[in-house]
Formats: sequence, structure tokens, C-alpha cells
Amino acid sequence: MSRQRPAGLQKVLNVLGPFIGLALVIALFSLIPEVQGRFLRFANFKSVATQSVIVALGALGMTFIIVSGGIDLSAASNIALSSVITAYAINAGAAPLVAVLLGVLTGGLVGLANGALVTRLRLIPFIVTLGMMGIARGAAKWIAGNQKIDAPMTWANELMARSPRPSWLLLAPGVWIVILLAVAMAVVLRYTVFGRHVFAVGSNESAARLCGIRTSRVKILVYSVAGLFCGLSGVMEFSRLTVGDPTVAVGLELDIIAAVVIGGGSLNGGEGSILGTMVGVMIMSFLRNGCTMMGWPNYIQEIIIGAIIVIAVTLDRLRHRGE
Amino acid sequence: MKSLALKTMAGCLCLALASSACAKKSSDAAAPREGRTLQIAVIPKGTTHEFWKSIHAGAVEAARELGVEVIWKGPQKEDDRAQQITVVEDFISRGVDGIVLAPLDDRALMRPVQDAVRERIPVVIIDSALQGSDFTSYVATDNYKGGVLAARRLGQLLGGRGRIFLIRYQEGSASTVQRETGFYDTVKKEFPDLVLLVRDQYAGATTETAYQLAENLISRFPDVEGVFAPNESSTFGTLRALQESRLAGKVVFVGFDSSPKLVQGLRDGHVQGLVVQNPRKMGYLGVKTMVAHLRGETVEKVIDTGVVLATADNMDDPDIKSLLSPDLSKIID
Repeated sequence: MSRQRPAGLQKVLNVLGPFIGLALVIALFSLIPEVQGRFLRFANFKSVATQSVIVALGALGMTFIIVSGGIDLSAASNIALSSVITAYAINAGAAPLVAVLLGVLTGGLVGLANGALVTRLRLIPFIVTLGMMGIARGAAKWIAGNQKIDAPMTWANELMARSPRPSWLLLAPGVWIVILLAVAMAVVLRYTVFGRHVFAVGSNESAARLCGIRTSRVKILVYSVAGLFCGLSGVMEFSRLTVGDPTVAVGLELDIIAAVVIGGGSLNGGEGSILGTMVGVMIMSFLRNGCTMMGWPNYIQEIIIGAIIVIAVTLDRLRHRGE
Repeated sequence: MKSLALKTMAGCLCLALASSACAKKSSDAAAPREGRTLQIAVIPKGTTHEFWKSIHAGAVEAARELGVEVIWKGPQKEDDRAQQITVVEDFISRGVDGIVLAPLDDRALMRPVQDAVRERIPVVIIDSALQGSDFTSYVATDNYKGGVLAARRLGQLLGGRGRIFLIRYQEGSASTVQRETGFYDTVKKEFPDLVLLVRDQYAGATTETAYQLAENLISRFPDVEGVFAPNESSTFGTLRALQESRLAGKVVFVGFDSSPKLVQGLRDGHVQGLVVQNPRKMGYLGVKTMVAHLRGETVEKVIDTGVVLATADNMDDPDIKSLLSPDLSKIID
């Protein structure tokens, strides 16, 4: 019985862990006299939130994949491909809504292909998505004719406007979309049968299969959902850039994976939470924002983010050893 | 034990946050706008190329002369449009007095620049063009003319006939597209007997990607006689590929921009011409124009900073030398 209390506390700390990191980062910049007055302003939070949208959407899907014991290296290429498709469709005269849906769908199809290859060919996700990373990036450049696509401005470009058009929205529509989807996905992952199956597959796939879970179906669904999120993220990328750029977001998959890992996701599968992931995204965005405001050189920023990933995972390990 | 320590830490943090929130109000009220040193953010396309270091030096030089503060910050990943937008937004948040920006994309950076102007932060564009007219002034090289100079040099050395590559830099980069267009137009108009074996291959952002492209092109067309590359990384990547395939010195090679390795190439006869801009002047005039605008003076809408062709013959002239190998050590460390 005496172990009960520490275990409860442990649980609280597990949830709070990433928040402490976020608080540390915000506190750090709030205490530096040069920027403190500006850093804590609502206008700044607004831009940090807008800047987080693209990684956040990718990370929502990535959380599902990592919890299921997989990985998706093609996320960033998928974002680029979807943004190019959206721009292409708008340029070809499609209604913005159709273009946006096409963009999201493209992401979903790439995800579906990932899932199908992982389950049908029984290849490890690392290899499948490594290949897809090149395929999607190449396809994006091909469709865009090896250059960026200038599309006419439509309401699709308002999704990521720092100052939203009806000003009562306060935040860019993209930010609200992320918040809504994050809440929805948190519920799906925690409280639905599908969510529990994702955890089961990630914790012990053979046990899950023996328990009667159709693991292949779960995995295909996980990769497809993650693909849809990348597609939406690509739409947001297009909205932000106002052009379809096939070279955008190179290396962004690592930021996305880092966000999930900082938020408590385990690359061995079976662990991770949407809330943690979102906090992981915010930690990286605030760091970037603060470093830029300070005018610190980029290498400092890169070193800090690298160190945070290692520290976050180390703390995670220590917590688990305690359990 | 551990959890207790963590808890205490969290407690301290909350306190710190609360106190800083209070401090914020008082410091805001106390900060007078008048009499403060002007803060100018200078945002390059990247930070590792020699070219940007020269711009940095020029900007710092102007800052010292005029008594203003320059904050130098590029996108975290070289040539990443999305991240450059982020940097501009962060400086709007910081509330700098002015932004000097080398836009990575003539279209994608329009909205952040509009945002800045809406928040009463003027923007001076350097190096590459931006669509629209929200900016205060455009300080840049006449890039088209640079391409023309390169084409004439190549055409003359080849006697007006031969098989050549036009290597392009990257999709959507306005300054290099203008150089490529200047080169292409001049070849078509003045040297109709030059055959362009390649004219729509992109070298990409880094020396490595340019190196690979040039290697592949050379193995496909080993009989190439002339090459033009439109910026520092593509020129150096191509030079490496020519040297590796033992074609350096046999092929007429005209590049753009300079770096110690390229100057060495010029001296060794591996490079027959380098079109050089005056990035230091660009950085200098960018900041100077901004300060003049902030102090209420009227400024020119377009300011040309000039291009010259450096060759093995004129490379030791003091004027050319200072453009080829600027001594930045006194300005930035």
C-alpha cells in the first residue's frame, strides 16, 4: 500500500514532464531583459502558434504511428507533395475547397501506400517510408515541373494568416483546426477501441494478434490517418507560403519525430500521448522563436534542440526505471 | 527524492514566471522610444555562404558608422522559405525598428513583409526581388547584366561556337533566374552558334548537390566546351566536378560570386571568369538606406550595387581584389 502514493505521483509527473520543459523554455526567455517585454505578448504567442501548425499536424499522425511501433520518414515529403497538389489544382482552376480536399487526400493515399507496403510485403516501416520519402519528394518535383507553382490567392491562403480575417477568431484558422483535431485524436487514442488496439499493437504485436486484434488492419488505418494529417499539413504549408514549393520542409520529418519523442513517445512503441506531443511541438517552436528574437546564431538553436531531445528521452528512461 | 526536487523546481519556475510577468509591465512603461539605439534586423537567405558573410560585414560596417544595432539572423536551414517567413515574423514580434531582408522567394515572402509594414516596421529588400511594392527600397545587383557579362566572356573565349551547359541554381530564386535569363538571352542573340546542351537542370541549394549534377552532366556530355554557373555554391560544385574529371582548364568555365577556392581556381586557370557582385556594398547600403528612411529622409526606390567580371588578368587590381577576397576579419569575427 505504501507504494501506492509514489506511483500516483509518478503518474502525475509522467504527464507533467513535458510541461516542465515547456515552462522552462518560456521562463528562460521571459527572464532575459532584452526580449521579455515582447516575448510574453499575445501577438508573439499568435505567431508561435501559427508557426507550429505544420509540425503539429504532422506530429498528430506521427504519434499514432510511433505508438503503434512504427515510424514514418516520408512525412515531410508527403507534406511537400500535398502542398504542390493543392497549388496545382488551384492553378488549374479547381475551386479552393476541391483543391484542399485533393491535397488532404493525396496525403492519405501516400499514407495508405505506406501502410499497405508495411503489412503486405512485411517490410519494416523504416525502409518502406525511407523509400516513400524519395518517391513523394520526386513526385512533388515532377508535378511542379521542377519549380515552385504560383497559385492565385484564395481563401485557402487565409488559413494560415497571422492576423485572421474575421478578427474575433484571434488565432489563424489553422491553429483552431489543430486544436480541434488534437482534442479529437486524444479522445480517439485514449478512449476508443481503435486507440486501445494501436497501443496493443505497439506494445506487443504478436500478443495483440493472438488476442484477436486484426493487426494489419490497425496498421493500415494508422498509416492512412497519419497520411491524411500530412496532407492537411501540406495544405497549411501551401497556405503559408502562398506557392506550391516541392523543395519545402526538407528534414521536417525529424522535427515531427522529435516532437513526439520529447512528448514522451517511445520509438519502441506502446507509449505516447497527443497532449505530450503537442507540448513537444510547442517546446521546439518557442525555442526557435526565442532564439530568433534574441538574434542568437542558428547553431546555438540546433545544439539546444538536439540536447533537449537527448535529455527528454533520458528523463523518460529514468522514470521508467523507477516504476 | 527525485520527485520532490522536480516539484520544487516547478514551484520556482511558477514564481519566476509570475515575477517576470510583473517585470514586463514596468519595463514596457519605462522604455522610451526616443533616444534609443535603432535596432535593425538583417535577414539573409542563409548564413554559411561567403557571399552572406560579406553582406554581414557590410551591414555591421554601416551599423558602426551610423550608431545603430544590427541583428543578423538567417533561416535555420539554408534556403528554407518557410523558415525565413518564421524569422521575419519573430522579428515583427520582437518589434525591431526596421527589417533588411534578402527574400528567398519573390512571392512567398510577400505576406510577412505586408505584416511588418502593417505593424509599422519598414522593410528594405536586398539581393533578390520581391513582388508587390510594400517595401521601402530595393538594393541589389543588376543580375541580368551579370548574366550578360558571363555570356560575352564565354562566347568570346570559345570564338562564338561550341557546346555549353547553362547550369541553373534553384527554382524560384529571383536573382539567379535573372542571371540565367541574362546569360540565355545573350547567347541566343549574340552567339547563335553556341549550342546549349543543357539549359534546365537545377544545381540545388548546396555545393554537394551542384557537384553531383555537374558530375552527371559531364559523364553524359564529356565533349562539353563551356559551362556557366549562376552563384557561389553551383560554381564551386561545378569546379570540383571539372577538377575531378580532369576537365578543369580545358573547358571554358565562367561562374558567379567568389570564395577563396574560386579565386584559387581563377589563378590556376581552372576558372576563366567570375562575375562578382559587391555584397559588402549591398549589406552596407541596405542598412544605410533603412536608417535614412527611419530618420525621415527620402530614399531611392531601386539602388544598383554593380557587377564586374574578374579574370586571371585583372584579379590583382586592388578594386577587383577587394571584391574577390574581401578582408572581413576586421569587421566580423
